[in-house]
Amino acid sequence: MDHEVVSSYVPALLNGLGLTLILTLASMIAGTILGFALAMMRLSRFLILGGITTLYGTLVRGLPLLIQILLVYFGLPLLTGIRMPAVVAGAVALSLFTAGYMAEVIRSGIVGVDPGQMEAGRSIGFSYWQSMRLIVLPQAFRMMIPNIANQFSITLKDTSLLSVIGVVELTMAGQTIYALNFDTIRVLAMVGALYLLVFFAAERLSSLVEARIRR
Amino acid sequence: MIVARGVHKSFGQLEVLKGIDLTLGEGDVVGLIGASGSGKSTFLRCLNLLEVPDAGQIIIDGEDVLAKGANVDRLRRSIGMVFQNFNLFPHLSVLQNITLGPIRLRGLERAVAEGEAAELLASVGLTDKIRAYPRQLSGGQKQRVAIARALAMHPKVMLFDEPTSALDPELVNEVLDVIGRLAANGMTMVIVTHEMGFAREVADRIAFVHAGRILEMAPPAELFGNPREGRTAEFLSKVL
Repeated sequence: MDHEVVSSYVPALLNGLGLTLILTLASMIAGTILGFALAMMRLSRFLILGGITTLYGTLVRGLPLLIQILLVYFGLPLLTGIRMPAVVAGAVALSLFTAGYMAEVIRSGIVGVDPGQMEAGRSIGFSYWQSMRLIVLPQAFRMMIPNIANQFSITLKDTSLLSVIGVVELTMAGQTIYALNFDTIRVLAMVGALYLLVFFAAERLSSLVEARIRR
Repeated sequence: MIVARGVHKSFGQLEVLKGIDLTLGEGDVVGLIGASGSGKSTFLRCLNLLEVPDAGQIIIDGEDVLAKGANVDRLRRSIGMVFQNFNLFPHLSVLQNITLGPIRLRGLERAVAEGEAAELLASVGLTDKIRAYPRQLSGGQKQRVAIARALAMHPKVMLFDEPTSALDPELVNEVLDVIGRLAANGMTMVIVTHEMGFAREVADRIAFVHAGRILEMAPPAELFGNPREGRTAEFLSKVL
């Protein structure tokens, strides 16, 4: 093994990893916020709102993510007339994608809480939203943690698809190196190791949070 | 204090309440008895609008609570409710279960709310459980905490929905004792119960609910001793 060559890859790969982490976190945050809104629409009494979320879920789950990324990258500028950098388009596409799945994670967490909890909150005099915030969501969140961690790892891995629109995240950073020197296997092994590292860290964090809350 | 007139409620095709009337004065204790599915729990839940009646009137302290613009959340603060399955908040301690409403809705300082909660817990005999979590309590203890939680809002009326039905037999009395003491202290209450002996002891009036209507309502001695309706007598012969 040529140690010097391998370590010369590290800075570029770490830059890629940094962007991958930023994209993953941004998509998880935006996706959770939008997913929460979708989940509340789904649970509302108004059928039209439920219909919108069902349609949204069908599109996000039915279309390949690659197509969604390309649609946002090429389609949004046509719709809005604003040209956006690939990294922004990528973040938007991943957020929309993550939201579709987070909506279901959050919805199932909320309906998993005994309806008697909401009733008890209302009977004390709390409004629907107060009962949701103070009583239902804290309990729902506990049940959501493993699913949120799972979604994090999915979003993390799917950031690699953004390489097709030229976002220099971890996968693209690797490709850029081996396109020049054909050191394909070693570079890809390093790229893969970095993904696994983040994956294990996220998994560990999730079990820690879970254990802490269950105490 | 509470007047219900012609309360109707259907779930889909099933008409559960077919016009119930009930007037409750201050300090009244009414026991609702009847077979499962007779509608007594549904009627109780209509009184604080956990179920919204399809027709009829519910007037609480002179306010028509089914009128558009009625502040239902504010109204519920003055109506305490105790559920069959306790519905304590499992993520909060006993103390937090009791102080959540007073701090957030009555605007009490935490220290004041905790002082009140400690007194309430003492009154239900659970001073030593103040730091416990619901999962560490027996059913009877849970229900007594639930009663303390409802009382912490200083309600004018207490509604009990089969408060001892989910309890092991040996835990029933500790809960009934607490409810009986509330009655003795003049709390206005509506109690749905299968405990006939208890209902007889604690209630001023017993209403026999059958097929979505109050078939008969009378002081306990009269209703248990000398029921007017054949169906009441039939029901009592099965449960007594």
